Amino acid sequence: MEVDLFQQGVDLMLFGMGTVFTFLISLVGAIYLMSWVISRFFPEPVQPAVAVQMAPVAVVEPRIQAVIQAAIDKHRGK
Amino acid sequence: MEQMLKLWSESGLAQIEAGTVVMMAVGFTLLFLAIRKGFEPLLLVPIGFGTILVNIPGAGFEAAPIYDAVGHLESPGGLMYYIYNVGIASGMFPLIIFMGVGAMTDFGPLLANPKTLLLGAAAQVGIFVTVMGAVGLSSLGILDFSIRDAASIGIIGGADGPTAIFVTSKLSPDLLGAVAVAAYSYMALVPIIQPPIMRALTTEAERKIEMVQLRPVSTREKIVFPMLLLGLVAMLLPSAAPLLGMFCFGNLMRECGVVDRLSDTTQNALINIVTIFLGLAVGSKMSADKFLNWETLGILTLGALAFCIGTAAGVLMAKLMNRFSDTPINPLIGSAGVSAVPMAARVSNKIGLEANPQNFLLMHAMGPNVAGVIGSAVAAGVMISMVSGY
Repeated sequence: MEVDLFQQGVDLMLFGMGTVFTFLISLVGAIYLMSWVISRFFPEPVQPAVAVQMAPVAVVEPRIQAVIQAAIDKHRGK
Repeated sequence: MEQMLKLWSESGLAQIEAGTVVMMAVGFTLLFLAIRKGFEPLLLVPIGFGTILVNIPGAGFEAAPIYDAVGHLESPGGLMYYIYNVGIASGMFPLIIFMGVGAMTDFGPLLANPKTLLLGAAAQVGIFVTVMGAVGLSSLGILDFSIRDAASIGIIGGADGPTAIFVTSKLSPDLLGAVAVAAYSYMALVPIIQPPIMRALTTEAERKIEMVQLRPVSTREKIVFPMLLLGLVAMLLPSAAPLLGMFCFGNLMRECGVVDRLSDTTQNALINIVTIFLGLAVGSKMSADKFLNWETLGILTLGALAFCIGTAAGVLMAKLMNRFSDTPINPLIGSAGVSAVPMAARVSNKIGLEANPQNFLLMHAMGPNVAGVIGSAVAAGVMISMVSGY
C-alpha cells in the first residue's frame, strides 16, 4: 500500500509537470502564430496622426482682417 | 426551575469545549493578522469571522436541514451549511472569482513576450514536489495523507486562492480550512518568503540586467487570445476547462470593449459579493475536529515549502532562458511565475530596483505572473483528472 501511494505520487509529478510544460509550450507556439497571423493578415488600421489644428489665422479673409485691423487701430488711436 | 435548567444547558458556557475555544482563538488570530498586519484582509476577515461563528456551541450554523419521515421540514439547518453547499461543494464560488480575476487581468505583457509562459510553467514545480513531500511523509508513517490529500496540499504552491479552494473542495473537503488558510497566508507573506531565495540564487550582475521595452499589443490580439486559450484547453485538457473557461470568459468581457458594464460588475461588485461568501464558507470548515491535528501542521509546513520551491524553480528557469535567449532576461522575473498576482510581480520589481534604480521590471514580471495563473489552473486540471479516480 505504501509503495503504491509513493508510486501514485511519482506518477502524478511526472504526468503533472509533463502536462503543464506541454500545454504552456503549445500555448507559446499558438500565441506566436496568432500574433503573426493578425499582424500579417489583419493589421489594425493605422490611425493617421491627427494634425493638431493650428489657430485658423489664414481662414480670416484679407478684407475682414483689414477691417478688424482698422477697428483696432481706431480703438488704440483714441 | 426546569426552565432555568434548560436555558442553562443550552447556554454557551455549559456546552463549551476546549476544542471550540481553541478554534475561536484561531479565528481571532486570523482577524488580528488581517486587521492589524494587513494579511490578505479581503479573505481573512470573512474566514476568521466565519471560524468564530461556526464554533459557537449550540448555534447550529453548520447544521444540515432535518426532514421527518414523510419529508416535512423539521429544522431548516444553518446559514453556513447552505453557503458551503451552494457555493463551494458545487465549485461555484471559486469559478465566479476566477471569472472576476480574468476580467481584471491584462494579458498584454504576456502576449508581447510569450516566452515568459515557460517561467509560469517552471514555478509549478513547487506544486508537484510538495505532493511528493506529502506522499513521502505518509509513506514514512509520520502523517496520514491519501493521494487526494497530497494533491490538495500541493496546490497551495500554485499561490492561487480560488484554484486551491476549487481543487481541495473536489478532492478532500475536510482539509479545506487548513489549505485555504495556508494558501492565503503564504500569499500575503510573498514579500517576506521570496526575496531571500531570489537573492541567494542570483548574482548582483544578473539582478542588474535591464530588459528590452515590450512591444505594443494590438486590441485584436487581446480579443483573440482568450478564445485561443479556451480552444487549446478544450482540445488538450478539458478537466481544466471549468477554471480556465471562466477565466477566459471574464477576460473576453474585459477586452472586447462592448460589454463594459458586465466587465465592471464582474471585477467589482460580483467578485466582492462572492468573496464575502467564499470566506465565510471556508471559515465554516474550520471546526476543531478537522483543524486541530498534526495534519494541519504538516499542511502549513508543506505549503511554505511549496512556495519556496516554486520561487526557486522560476528563478532558475529564468537564468536558463537568459543564457539561451537573444534578448536579455532578468532572472528576478522568474519568481513571479508562482502567480500570487500582483504581489509576486511587485516583489520582482522591488528587488530589481534595489540592484539598479533605473530598472523597472514590473511590466516584464506581469507576463510570468499571469502565466503562473494559467499554469496553476492547468496543474489543477491534471490533478483533478488523475487523482479523482482513487
